[in-house]
Order: sequence, then C-alpha cells, then structure tokens
Amino acid sequence: MFADLNVPVPTLTKQQLTQAASKKGKGKQEPSGPPPAFSPAQITAIESRLDLLVHCRYILFLVVKRVLIMALLVGYTIVAFNQTVERKVDPKTHVNTLDPLLAQLRKRQGVVYLKRLTIVLDEDSEKGFGLTNGNAALFAPYDLLALVPTTAASFSLACLTHTQPTPLTTHIIALPLTLPRLPFNLKHTLIRAALKNGAVFELGYVGALGGESDPALSLPSGGESGAGAKRNWWAAAREVARVTKGKGILVSGGVWNEADLRAPRDVANLITVLGVSQDIAHDASTKVAQSLVLRAQTRRTYRAVLSEPKVIIPSLAVPGATDIEMKDDQTQLPAPADQGTNGKKRPLEQGGPNDTTLSEPSATATQDGSNLDGASRTKKKKRKAAAS
Amino acid sequence: MVRFKNRWLLVELLPVPAPLPGRAPTGQPQEGLTSKQIWAALKQSIITHFGDTGWGAVGSSLTIKYFSPRTNLCIIRVAREPHKIAWAGVALMTAIDGRRYVPHVVHVSGTIKQAQLAAIRHNREIVARYRARAKLPAGYQDSYEEYLQTSAQEIEALQD
Repeated sequence: MFADLNVPVPTLTKQQLTQAASKKGKGKQEPSGPPPAFSPAQITAIESRLDLLVHCRYILFLVVKRVLIMALLVGYTIVAFNQTVERKVDPKTHVNTLDPLLAQLRKRQGVVYLKRLTIVLDEDSEKGFGLTNGNAALFAPYDLLALVPTTAASFSLACLTHTQPTPLTTHIIALPLTLPRLPFNLKHTLIRAALKNGAVFELGYVGALGGESDPALSLPSGGESGAGAKRNWWAAAREVARVTKGKGILVSGGVWNEADLRAPRDVANLITVLGVSQDIAHDASTKVAQSLVLRAQTRRTYRAVLSEPKVIIPSLAVPGATDIEMKDDQTQLPAPADQGTNGKKRPLEQGGPNDTTLSEPSATATQDGSNLDGASRTKKKKRKAAAS
Repeated sequence: MVRFKNRWLLVELLPVPAPLPGRAPTGQPQEGLTSKQIWAALKQSIITHFGDTGWGAVGSSLTIKYFSPRTNLCIIRVAREPHKIAWAGVALMTAIDGRRYVPHVVHVSGTIKQAQLAAIRHNREIVARYRARAKLPAGYQDSYEEYLQTSAQEIEALQD
C-alpha cells in the first residue's frame, strides 16, 4: 500500500570501468561491440573488465538490496529504482543499469518493482537534454520519468512543456531541497499548470535527516549534507507545501544509506509538521503515488487517453429519440492536435433520452471530451452507464 | 471535567546494519540499550529539531514506559497535544549512543490497552516472519513460544 518511489541506484560511470580495466591490460573503448579476432592479451583484458562489471554490478546489487530489504521491513510494497543522469541524456552513452539489476533481484510476493529515470537539469540543459521524440526508445523501458530543475528556466521548462501528455512526459518534478537557497521562485501559475497536467512535486525526506544523498555525484551547484542541509530542507519543503497547498506532493526516499530509511507513517507525520493536513500527508505516500504510477502508464497511450471512447452521433433533436452510439477503438480516435490539454472536461453523464436537448452540443464535446487525459480523471473505463 | 489525554507510541528500533533474518530475536553481541539512553537520545533529537520550545512542550509528559532489549521494542507515552512533535522527534532520531538505528513507529494509540495489544500482535508477527523464513513445520516447538509468553507477560504488566 505504501510506495517509495525513489530508491537510488548508484551509476557505474564509464570512466570507472575503463579506468579499472586499463590497469590490467589493454582496454577497449567500446564495451559492447562484437569483437573480431582477438589476441590473447586483449581477451584477458576484456575478461577482466567483464569480471569487474559483474563484480561492480554485484556490489551495486548488494548496496541496493540492503536498502530494499530495510524498506520492505518497514512496510513499503511499491518500490521504484531510480537511475540518475546528469545534465543530459546522450543516446550514445546511456546505459540502462536498472534492467540487469532487476533481473538479479528475487521476485518477492506482494512487492512491485518499478524503474525510474531522473535527469538533473542545469543551465547547460536549457538547450535540450535528450528528452526528444528521437530518443523515445531509450525511455520506453522506464516506468517513471523525473526531472530535477536547478535553474528558473529549466524549472519553467519542466513545469510547462514536459508535463504535457506525450510518450515522454515527466510526471515527477523533484526539486533539489538541500541547496542553500532555492534558486528560483516557485511561481504559483507554473505549479498550477503542472498539477493540472498531472505532474507531482516530489519531496525526498532524506534531506530532513541530514543523510547523505548521492555519494557518486554531489548534487550540481552544491547541496550540502549535515545540519545545513536540514535547515535548507525544512525551508524549501515548507515553501513547496505552501505553494502546492499540499495537493500534488509525492513523498519519497532518495535514501542511499539504509539507516536513513523511515517508515511511511513516520514520513507522513513529518509532512504534517510542514503544515499539510493529516489526510493529505497520508495520501502523499499512498494515493498520490499509486495514481501517479497509473498515470505514468499512459505514456504508452496516445495523448493519455485511457478508456475506450464512445462516439455519439446526435440524432435530430426529437424528444424520445435515442442517440446512435458507436464504439470507437482508442487508436482510431481522430483526436485533433490540440486536444491534449482540453481533456479536463468530464465525460458527460447523460440522462439518456431525457437529455436530447443537451445532446447536440454535448455530443461534439464528448467526441473530444472523451479524452481522459492524464490529469485527475484517469481511472478505469468510464462508461456512460446513465446513457445506456 | 478535564482529563489528561495521552498518546502511546509503539516504536521498534531496528538496528543498522540489519542482522541476518535467520537469527533469532534474542541475543545481541554488544551491550544492550536502556530506556534511559533512549530518553536521552530522544531529548537530544527534539531539542535539535524543534528547539527548547519543542522540548518544553513535550518534555514534562514524555516517558519511556517499556523497553525490551531483545526485540528493541519501546513504548513511549506523550501528552496528546504535542504528540506530533514527539513523533517527529522519534522519526528524526538517527543514532542512540553512537550506534545507528532506524526508528519505526508501529502503532499510535490513545489508551495503554491498545498499545499492549498492538505490542503483543507485533511480537507475534515478527516471530511468524522468522518462522516462515526458517520454513519450520507447523506445530514445531521452539524457543519462540516461551519467548512470546514472557514478553506478553511483561507487556501486560504495564501500568499507566
């Protein structure tokens, strides 16, 4: 029932791999390439690198496994493994470290493993950081995408453009809460736009404990750890809670050291100290997380349409005449290009023949209003039960 | 009439690094914790995070009523108004006497009776987990039974 959507997985940098390999012998630059004929020296080099890879992966696996075990002990059932990428995603060098990791983890009953990719944005990423349609194949295996903006421009980019329902929506916007001063003002309009599109803002509680976040890379533009981080965390988190009014908040771990993990109800209590009411705080690690995961699956659909829309062709406005209904497959729905953001209209609950006076304008609305977009309306198939 | 209302927090202190799941809940290699140490660590945590005002709100009513070194199970009583401060203080506590623990609040109740029931239930769940891991046949008599009974008696003996 409780979800921790941020269990970080340390990244093996290519540098580490080639560095270690070059100590043992000649190393090749390209780790994955079908090799032609090899000399024995090269073979030993490659084998040693493979050993190292396996060894590194095993250590990675152990590190992650400890956090995972503690998380399960404490009561989380939905766990998302998080791979962090700095600055931009380069299709040539991007390695998916999560798939082999998940292959090694034992299947536990009642526990859901998810995969998540986080991209840290800074000034360099403003021009583009690889989240394009061309690279969409890279992002397909990940269940959740997240962005960490550190500048004002990247923040507005993240809130406005990247929350639109496309196959590349980043549903999670994680703010760096331990920076000495939040570099941008949280503008209410931006945040409201992001929430309407279905994004959530993430608060990672590891900063509140002063725990170490990310030993491999210190957060760009210097997040501290220790007492200073705690103070910054409380200030920034309180600010986020104020601007979002607690509604679109997702609470997650981001815990590297298993000693920093906390039970979900403890974390909910910490969020109430920030000024959020108790039921919203409890929702932040349960309902918000679950509906987010569901919403993230809409990346596989066209513009986040989940249900099978019914196309209703209005008959002439004669009282007593029923409308002709056609079921339409969701892939064939001729959605106009700008309907993505219009999907807020609730699918109309019509009263059947009694409502034929309303049926004409509403029928056109249902054609495009059946777009249940990602935002708040995504549930299972909505049938116009009242109409039929 | 003015009744003094309390909250009873049932806290399990999980030691880090976590011991192997096969090991029985009894026996710790290092010297055990005492309730005084927990109280001191909790006080320190509340003063660090909520200041003197926080400790002033909580301090007069905060008591550690029960602690079992074998299960690391702790029952804390606080007054009802500042119980969130105390709960947050527990959650933000990272180490006791230099050793790291993960505080896990299992149950919060308003009466001691419910806290006792929750503690007994929690012990049984832990033992059941151990037994399932060890894949013992049902009805197998082991030392857990006797341990469960003694701990249940200790918990029942709690007075307000």
